[in-house]
Amino acid sequence: MRALSIAATGMAAQQTNVEVIANNLANMNTTGYKSQIAEFEDLLYQNVEQPGAQSSDANTLLPSGIQLGAGVRTAAVARVTTQGALQSTTNPYDLAIQGGGYFRVTLPDGTFAFTRSGNFALSPTGEIVTQDGNPVAPGISVPSNATSVQVNAQGQVLAQIPGQTALQTLGQLELDTFPNPAGLTATGKNLFIQNAASGAPQAGVPGSTGYGSIQQGYLESSNVDPVAAITSLITAQRAYEMNSKVITAASDMLQQTANMGQG
Amino acid sequence: MRARIVFVVVGILLGLLATQAGEAAQRIASSASLAGQPLPLSAVAAQKSQQNPGLRAGTAGALLQANATDQKGSHAVMDTTQLVCLSQELAAYQSMDSIANNLANVSTPGFKREAPQFQEYVDQMQPSEGEKGTQAVSFVQQTGLIRDLGAGPIEITNAPFDVAIKGQGYFVVQTANGPRYTRDGHFTLDATGRIVTDAGDPVQGQGGDISIATTDGDIHIAADGTVSGLNGQIGQLNIVDFADDRALVRQGSTLFSTTQTPQAATDAEVQQGMIEGANVQPVVEISNMIEVMRSYQAMMNLSESQANSELQTLDKLSTIQS
Repeated sequence: MRALSIAATGMAAQQTNVEVIANNLANMNTTGYKSQIAEFEDLLYQNVEQPGAQSSDANTLLPSGIQLGAGVRTAAVARVTTQGALQSTTNPYDLAIQGGGYFRVTLPDGTFAFTRSGNFALSPTGEIVTQDGNPVAPGISVPSNATSVQVNAQGQVLAQIPGQTALQTLGQLELDTFPNPAGLTATGKNLFIQNAASGAPQAGVPGSTGYGSIQQGYLESSNVDPVAAITSLITAQRAYEMNSKVITAASDMLQQTANMGQG
Repeated sequence: MRARIVFVVVGILLGLLATQAGEAAQRIASSASLAGQPLPLSAVAAQKSQQNPGLRAGTAGALLQANATDQKGSHAVMDTTQLVCLSQELAAYQSMDSIANNLANVSTPGFKREAPQFQEYVDQMQPSEGEKGTQAVSFVQQTGLIRDLGAGPIEITNAPFDVAIKGQGYFVVQTANGPRYTRDGHFTLDATGRIVTDAGDPVQGQGGDISIATTDGDIHIAADGTVSGLNGQIGQLNIVDFADDRALVRQGSTLFSTTQTPQAATDAEVQQGMIEGANVQPVVEISNMIEVMRSYQAMMNLSESQANSELQTLDKLSTIQS
């Protein structure tokens, strides 16, 4: 009986849906997290009677035909790359990007990863690094005697050094954009790496078109909308329940068939 | 649908009472085969075809006929009531399958629910000896799965490349197998910045693929499908419509194909940041499911009581004979 396996695909899809929503809710307070949506699509159809096939030799056509569905599958888990709200922290090394760019981070193996999470800190040598200690491109060191550090909207890092009247420029932060940022591979720890779907990173300076500007003393919170997430959770749970009802109903019918002629 | 079946079956039962005498001889023949003198299968088939000439209610009918002629054992000749019950039971299975598919796709964007359509297949039974006129027997036959083209609920996703069509129309997607049409407006960009579906097939604008550059900034999609960014207009989504929507062939992945020539949609409005959900209404599906289950149950009961009364008849007749 086809209904059993169809309903099973429905249950599996809704389970994926719940898992994606659970991950969104778990990361509700993760800096720079982008919410994900499970996308579904219907499976291939079995053509019993092709729509538009001839139903007689007088050129009459079947208006709708019979195409039997086989259920549903998860087509993609897409990332929604909209801007998250900016949250004030007053920490000078907390940087938020308002716009489409990504910070570039050098991993220990020399490859690059990209992040929207700008909660940086200083390494023992004074370099601006992520919370995991990976340097932020292009690698900017803050002198130990600097009294205050400022990052402007264009990503220039300036420091007040005692004995100097003018601010000293320490370096220029770089951002990267991608043709398809939603296609980046998430590797955990708020990091993404490039792949064939995202396209190659294009480096640029903050403030130029498409890259966004830097806000010092702010962090980009996750763009998870808890109300929407809970609503989706309820919908997913109900859909799961309904698919399980179909399994029960189909199984009842099969049981009646099996018991036929015994009463 | 159920009401009609019950009506037809009641009619058949009344008819059976009238032909009871005529059939009695046949029953005795059956009892002979039960008693260890099986009739040759061809004889049974001949008998059957005499009783029900031209019984062929589509695929279900072919199956029924096969059952009727091949079955060995207590029901060497399945009578009409059982066959009508069987046609309804098969119909219930088909209904259940389409309900399952609708419910499985309750979260599939752009999915359109389907409902099976059944038709009466009328067979004129030959009158029994000494009777006048003919009797009509109605079987259930599936003639099509009708797609409900009603709009699905619009869900707000705020994703810049999620677009919903309000009104009549389809997006055009260029796949390896030619153009396909969809109402599922969940799109994304690929590595070269083209607007593509989840499967990576490019969505077609008025002049082919639509490519977004990283310098275009935030993308705005207007009600007429115009895609624009910071540098002005980039393209316009091609929204098409067809003379006969129902003739579109499902290809899975919420894509449709057709041999019809697409026309520019006149009654379509594109909404950005939204997506059209499935037009499956769970309440309707669940109540249909209960109805299917109940009618299936009713048919099983009827077929069972018919089998019992046949057995009783056989018992009585064989007692009288001995």
